[in-house]
Amino acid sequence: MGFLKTLDISASGLFVQRKIMDVIASNLANMETTRTEKGGPYRRKMVVLRTDPSDDFSHLLDLQMQSVRLEGIVEDKSPLRQVYDPAHPDADKEGHLLKPNVDLVVEMTNMLIARRVFEANVVAMKTTRQMTLKALEVGR
Amino acid sequence: MPDKLSFESTFNALERATTITQHRHSLITDNISESDTPYYRPKELDFKKALAEAMEPAAKAPMAQTDPKHLSPEPGPIQGMDVFEEESEWNGFNWVNIDREMTKLTENDLMYRTATEALLRKITLLKEVIREGGR
Repeated sequence: MGFLKTLDISASGLFVQRKIMDVIASNLANMETTRTEKGGPYRRKMVVLRTDPSDDFSHLLDLQMQSVRLEGIVEDKSPLRQVYDPAHPDADKEGHLLKPNVDLVVEMTNMLIARRVFEANVVAMKTTRQMTLKALEVGR
Repeated sequence: MPDKLSFESTFNALERATTITQHRHSLITDNISESDTPYYRPKELDFKKALAEAMEPAAKAPMAQTDPKHLSPEPGPIQGMDVFEEESEWNGFNWVNIDREMTKLTENDLMYRTATEALLRKITLLKEVIREGGR
């Protein structure tokens, strides 16, 4: 049935936005983290998304309708923040301390986008549901 | 052609479809309620497969059909449905993906409504025949 596919596409959107939220939460929590397993300060994480072609090739139209998939989580390679803090145990000889390249404003903006996109996917789902229910009334 | 017009096979299929969706609904709500349980693996049911199995005639009463107009044997009672553990991603706590469960809940609800609506219309048709047939 067609509506099942539409719902699946919306569900993939929900899943991906939730993952983005996880990454943002991680970035915010580690804004001041200077020690990681790999050594050095925490680096900002980003998600990479890709389209997920539908596995149903019975209709050519379906090829145009694609759900979204999480390709991976990568590190932001931009330079780290340098602050002067000689008292910190991780500071170098000159007293400079490298801090994560997390920008609070960027993270808050991304959080807003993630939230709105999540909401939009929920609305899309609701509409699909209402459309199907309306279709059941045809000819009644 | 009583069999073509008959309500038997459609009624059976729809009745079974509602039973299966009801069962699936309880599985999904169970998954949602267990979303706070550590190491819980969500349960799932293949609707298509379950319906196909439910529509198989009861093996006990094999009836010979020498003519296509002969009644086909009725499907037997629904056996235990094949519930399996859903393939899903470990989220650090358990295997429940709440978005997915909610989507499935909506999906299943729509399938249930579609089946009941079809059933209702079948009954309306039958009523119409009863009402108009005597005139």
